[in-house]
Amino acid sequence: MRLGFIGLGVMGRPMALHLLRAGHDLAVWARRPASCQPLLDAGATGVGTPADVARRAEVVFTMLTAGVDVQQVTLGPDGLAAGFAAGSVLVDMSTIAPQLARTLAQELLARCTVEMLDAPVSGGAQGAIAATLAIMVGGRARVLERVRPLLEVLGRTLVHVGDHGAGQVAKACNQMLMVAAIQAVAEALHLSRAAGVAPAGVRQALAGGSAGSRVLDVMGGRMVDRDFVAGVEARLHHKDYAIVIGEAHRLGVPLPVSTQVRQQLNALMAMGWGQNDTATLLRVLEAMEGAV
Amino acid sequence: MKIGFIGLGIMGRPMALNLLRAGHQLTVWARRAESMQPLLDAGASAAASPAALAEVADVVISMVADAPDVEQVMLGEQGVASAGRPGLIAVDMSTIRPAAARAMAAHLLARGIDFLDAPVSGGEVGAIAGTLSIMVGGGVAAFETVRPAFACMGHNIVHVGDSGAGQVAKAANQIVTGVGVLTVAEALNFAARSGVDPARVREALLGGFAYSKILENHGQRMLDRNFKPGFKSWMHQKDMNIVMQSAHELGLCLPVSAATAQMYNAMVGSGLGEEDSIAILKLLERLSGVDS
Repeated sequence: MRLGFIGLGVMGRPMALHLLRAGHDLAVWARRPASCQPLLDAGATGVGTPADVARRAEVVFTMLTAGVDVQQVTLGPDGLAAGFAAGSVLVDMSTIAPQLARTLAQELLARCTVEMLDAPVSGGAQGAIAATLAIMVGGRARVLERVRPLLEVLGRTLVHVGDHGAGQVAKACNQMLMVAAIQAVAEALHLSRAAGVAPAGVRQALAGGSAGSRVLDVMGGRMVDRDFVAGVEARLHHKDYAIVIGEAHRLGVPLPVSTQVRQQLNALMAMGWGQNDTATLLRVLEAMEGAV
Repeated sequence: MKIGFIGLGIMGRPMALNLLRAGHQLTVWARRAESMQPLLDAGASAAASPAALAEVADVVISMVADAPDVEQVMLGEQGVASAGRPGLIAVDMSTIRPAAARAMAAHLLARGIDFLDAPVSGGEVGAIAGTLSIMVGGGVAAFETVRPAFACMGHNIVHVGDSGAGQVAKAANQIVTGVGVLTVAEALNFAARSGVDPARVREALLGGFAYSKILENHGQRMLDRNFKPGFKSWMHQKDMNIVMQSAHELGLCLPVSAATAQMYNAMVGSGLGEEDSIAILKLLERLSGVDS
């Protein structure tokens, strides 16, 4: 199939490579031409604008950092909308606000009869490389059926959550649970150290019981090893919490714990640790006691 | 002074009337023509658009709900800026994000228009009595020019600093008042649930270090169960959102404000948005298992 891919960062690059290796014809564009090189080396075609990507592809994937980037690439000058043929599909795998996903879907349908799916992912760079991502999809079922074989190249779990924006709602919930769990693990290990008990032993003891979790395994492990190299950069979780708390505001829904987690992320950013792993939330607690 | 006034709601109407009564030559514009009537009856002239208003005024004042409204009347089609009168001073007395105020100042300055952000505190009562606190950001010369007009609307008029500084002061004001109303409600609910007369507790506290205007005024209205606005909950929710967005941009940890913002979300979500912010007491009672 003729495909397009925009956004070739830590996540997008391995995902695009999987699609290429599955035998598809892939057109790519990136703001920084250098990011295209690994894909061009593997046989993709580089083009000059997002509109050119859309002209060459039946299905276009985007994997960008922020909502404004997706909006720009889609509806901006020389954006996808300027090149799409009617009946094409946009699959946005970025993490953006549900409301923006709904607006973009409406605009694309109105301007060029193009269907959109919001299909954010969980699983990080590791999951992207291993093609084991969890993919949460919002949009029409028949559109998902059209692109399902493509998504199955990228991930292991594929759930159609609901209509437009539903994938992004699921992703926001995913981030709430995950980062709140990281904060809880950080607090537990911080308490055990303060009580004079080795965090490694506590983590090991907990792993078998009701408090066992993937976050305790992975992020807890990093905390015990004091290995704060990302993983997922904390600044991205900080960005995602603007979406979570923004939705709480828009809907008039109280999220008392999430809002506290966000404050810890704010403090993490202020200390200049945004490029480190979110396990660094442990260091924010230590900093509250004056140990930076 | 020839003054143009945009936005004639609960706050704007009495503020404009006070300018008129002080002898200023007033031209008004409002999206809904009927909101202009009380001002026209009192001797103001009507303009057909913000641009037309800017043609005949030395100072244009806006008092509207939120940043998009300010952008619309200042920079939109038929907006104040499109009149293109260098030397004009635009004053926004609405409560918007400091970053939005700074951007507005830059846009207007590029067209030779000085901009002051001058949000107020004191509510409808202060607007009617002409006793508002006015916190101003922007150039000193423009501030001195507009000061006599400010003096017709308020008592405590402070030039806080450069563009955006007025909005920073207002956000700080909303932190103190938003959190303050919640703590007074918590204290009075705590007294009542402990089987102690909250009216006597308030009276006892008024003489000590817990004294505040909020304990005195808002506390009394809580005891009277007078939830008529005043200052509507959804507006305080909007203002707490400004605070939390600014904290996100700055990487600032504001744990208590964050918790308070979530309480306001719950108020709006549960249908208390149109009541005074002291209806936060009802939310606490609900969480204490009390029907109210």
